[in-house]
Amino acid sequence: MPWLRRLPVLLGLNLRYYRSHKLLSILCILGIALGVGIVVAVELINSSAFSSLSASVDFLSGRATHSVVSGFGRIDEKHFPAIWTHPQVEAAAPVIEVMATAVETGDEPIRFVGIDPLLDGEFRGFSTVREDSGDFVPFLTERPPRMLLSADVMKQHGLRVGDTLTVSAAGVEKKVRIHGTIPAGDGLGDHLAVLDIAAAQELFGRYGELDRIDLIVRGNVEELARTLPLGLGLTDRGERKATLQAMLYSFQLNLTAMSLLALFVGVFLIYNFSMFSVLSRREDMSLLITLGSDRRELVGAFLAESLALGIVGSILGISFGWLVGWLSIERVSSSISELYFHLRVQELHLTASIALRGLTVGLAATLVGTALPALEVAVTPPVLGMKRRTIEDRAHGLKWILLLSAAACFLGSLAAWWASRYSVFWGFASAFGVTAAFALATPSALSPFSHYLGAWLKRWMGSLEGFLAARTIRASLSRTSIAVAALAVALSMTIGVDGMIHSFRESVRRWLDGALLGDLYISPSTTRWAHPLPNELIEMVYRHPDVEAVERYSTHEALLKGKPVKMRVVDGKVLKHHSTFHFLAGGRDAWDNLVAGGIFVSESLRFRLGIDVGDKATLKTPEGDRAFPVVALTRDYSTDQGALHIDRAVYERIWNDRSVQSVALFLKPGASTADIHRSIVHAFPGLDRTVVSNTKMKEDIFVIFDKTFAPTATLKGVSLLVALLGVATALTAILIERSREMTVLGYLGVTRREMAKINVYQGLIMGAAAFLISCACGTILTYVIVHAINYRSFGWSIDVSLDPWVFLKTAVLTTLACLASCVYPTYRLSRGRPLHLEEE
Amino acid sequence: MIPLLRLVNVKKRYVTGSAGEILPVRDVSVDIKRGERIGLLGKSGSGKTTFLNLVGGVDTPSSGMIYFNGRDLGELSSPELAEYRRSEVGFVFQSFNLFPTLTVGENIMLPLDLLGIHDENRARAMLEAVGLDGQWDKFPEQLSGGEQQRVAIARALVKSPSLILADEPTGNLDLETSNQVLRIIDEVCRDRDATLIMATHSLESLWLADRIFRLQGGSLIEQPRSGSREIVP
Repeated sequence: MPWLRRLPVLLGLNLRYYRSHKLLSILCILGIALGVGIVVAVELINSSAFSSLSASVDFLSGRATHSVVSGFGRIDEKHFPAIWTHPQVEAAAPVIEVMATAVETGDEPIRFVGIDPLLDGEFRGFSTVREDSGDFVPFLTERPPRMLLSADVMKQHGLRVGDTLTVSAAGVEKKVRIHGTIPAGDGLGDHLAVLDIAAAQELFGRYGELDRIDLIVRGNVEELARTLPLGLGLTDRGERKATLQAMLYSFQLNLTAMSLLALFVGVFLIYNFSMFSVLSRREDMSLLITLGSDRRELVGAFLAESLALGIVGSILGISFGWLVGWLSIERVSSSISELYFHLRVQELHLTASIALRGLTVGLAATLVGTALPALEVAVTPPVLGMKRRTIEDRAHGLKWILLLSAAACFLGSLAAWWASRYSVFWGFASAFGVTAAFALATPSALSPFSHYLGAWLKRWMGSLEGFLAARTIRASLSRTSIAVAALAVALSMTIGVDGMIHSFRESVRRWLDGALLGDLYISPSTTRWAHPLPNELIEMVYRHPDVEAVERYSTHEALLKGKPVKMRVVDGKVLKHHSTFHFLAGGRDAWDNLVAGGIFVSESLRFRLGIDVGDKATLKTPEGDRAFPVVALTRDYSTDQGALHIDRAVYERIWNDRSVQSVALFLKPGASTADIHRSIVHAFPGLDRTVVSNTKMKEDIFVIFDKTFAPTATLKGVSLLVALLGVATALTAILIERSREMTVLGYLGVTRREMAKINVYQGLIMGAAAFLISCACGTILTYVIVHAINYRSFGWSIDVSLDPWVFLKTAVLTTLACLASCVYPTYRLSRGRPLHLEEE
Repeated sequence: MIPLLRLVNVKKRYVTGSAGEILPVRDVSVDIKRGERIGLLGKSGSGKTTFLNLVGGVDTPSSGMIYFNGRDLGELSSPELAEYRRSEVGFVFQSFNLFPTLTVGENIMLPLDLLGIHDENRARAMLEAVGLDGQWDKFPEQLSGGEQQRVAIARALVKSPSLILADEPTGNLDLETSNQVLRIIDEVCRDRDATLIMATHSLESLWLADRIFRLQGGSLIEQPRSGSREIVP
């Protein structure tokens, strides 16, 4: 094809354009890089989290083909011999896995794995203790108990074999001696301690309990499963991975959606730059056509150069994504650990497929952003000097079409909102529809806004600069509306997400105010790892003369319809008088019904498993499957897995478990919380940080809450940065296009300082327009995120409450950001060459 | 009596990469009185625009002095030069240079706005004076070339400047429209006692000039008037 042969000539010509517009080219590449980077970062984080989770399951499972697990979180060790000697079982090993901290190693949790060294050799390689070694007997029999500790912990804290660690479990400190080292491998053995199972049971108060029994099954798995004791089930590592991965699904989906929104903002920037490059070369293109060039050549050259930019931007974006991922992975791991299960992501796995996806996403975004500009090239008329005004007239003419499209998008968004009851993807579609609707309506809003604002600035504020700036914005609508739309999208996302977080926070606050009415809580930070409090402590607080009532609490894993849920064991009789739970259904006589053997279910549980008030929920118990009537529906924001409440008396009777993980103390009138705190700590010195006031308890919960949303700050920040690059690009482009007008202003006596003010006004007016649009769009997005995404992702309802601070903060942020984006164009203006207009 | 403009040994030198040193204006000395109308002839590239830029305070001489009403422009700071252009100088360009984003009325109001004079009646009167009554709300692109140049003249004169600098004001217009525009410039300058310096390479435009100068090799040479004013048109 001859036109292909001429392509390099055109590309050579085009290269000169990019050389003379270096800054704009760099801004465009940065836009692509940031958008791609954030998508790659989220991909990396999600895939690395899964890889770590998967490797961790593999590592801890060793050569086990299956595991026996309990439907209620623990296995009575008396069942072990029967399982071990089952004809279908080749080998079996009991395991306890407990997360805990040690005084010497700070707040970073260590995974304590209790094993039977005699049986475990068949399964795992981390035991360096051999029966035939002299170490074996002391490992089993010495006091304090011995453990193997991973090399990374020892190196990090300067520990040596023979040192003693003070392990804190439920606020009670116990000593363990380091017996040996688990060598540093590929990171899987990091923060791991291995000890004899009897020592682990003693250390963590888990007498007579196992977490699971690992098996190598040689025969019929189904037959083995059928003959297991009541309440126990068989699982394999694939199922365990799938269960854990499913728990992360919504969390990861939300991160992905936010990253795509950042890319969406990036597309605006690509479009803006591409359109600018086409329009500013339009005369050159017309000339080339009159000189005999083919339109296909022009379009081909344009697409080729756009793709080249896309490739450069994407490659930079992949590197940037790796950096963001590396910086964020710890925060995300920490959020996953707080919300779901302990996860320690050691390294990012930038695989070829992720890099390829990043490149694909970058090129796709570039193609979407350059589609219309390419069309503009394709219809370039062979007439020289198509005026900017004509292009702007066309942009003004397009406003109505865009407005109609906006209305269509909005209606589509409402439909998607309705459809979100079937899939959360429709919720995301609804959010996208709202955003697209406002973006499409931006030209229609920006034109009158800048017109009237300009008139107002001149008439009432006496600002000629503001007036001229507003007019320039209106006159450059094809460019400014794109930049404003991009900024409005990013700001809407900020307002929408912040509005959701604020509403969520307020709902959680109201929930806690109703659920946590105790004056003092003995609630170890290790509560989430299910460490039972010592019985002596419970007896002591019951006997305390200043304590009016005690509520004993514990939480266990349970299986309902085959899915893991949280089972909360509460004192119904106490809470009846000492709580104001928010019941969404069945509130009347709820506590009496609970004490009588019913259960409450959380909204998330109803959402996930479809179990509602009036239904029966069948739980696995040591006595076999047992159905409990659901008597109330509660709000519970602590887990999206779903939670159920059961009365302690009922639980203890059926599960034969009296363990308590935390207690709430309701004091008599006039009693001093400080005195009681002192008396508890005096008797149990390890509980100093564990006994907390109601206020502190809630503060701690909100610390976790805020940490959970920390990753969104990065995503919002990058989107905003991309949008601001858009504003800077638009301002620079306006400056280039309107340099002649600026020069004429100079002839009329406008100083460079005043011209710079015009430029700053342009940035601020664009920011103001974007902010106002985002107030409306962001508010609607808050409702969409809360009702169509959050509820569909996590199953909990949130009362939307709009916070003026969110809007104020966004306004300040917009102002500062727009001023920042004006810096370079203003500098360029103020340092421009002397005024020369009619050069001879 | 102090002349409105006095140029003493004014020289302007540019150094360009390829052409080396260029001297579009060299050792120019001239006095121009208030109300005088000067025609400035010269070929393309002879330095006419540079000369106008120098006396308009847009550019500064490499050496020599330019006095406006006895005040040395070389001693003015950049903001003071802007103030000088804002209040004392009206520019008319060959390619009109109206702001396409502003209406005709807003274009004419702009110099007044810059001076803080918000007198719409004055601007409307000026528009009427150039024969464009009723075009106030139109945008420049809705007007013909001649009409646009008349708006540009109205914009230059609305603030009643002492000095009007017109750079090939009829260069983009046909003969008939050129004559219309020149008549307007003539009338308005006469009414306001404004000094006019009009750069042109068209002899036919010089009928309104009191004195004619030619820029040749950077030097300003006064030309004797050949024939009467009435030769054109």
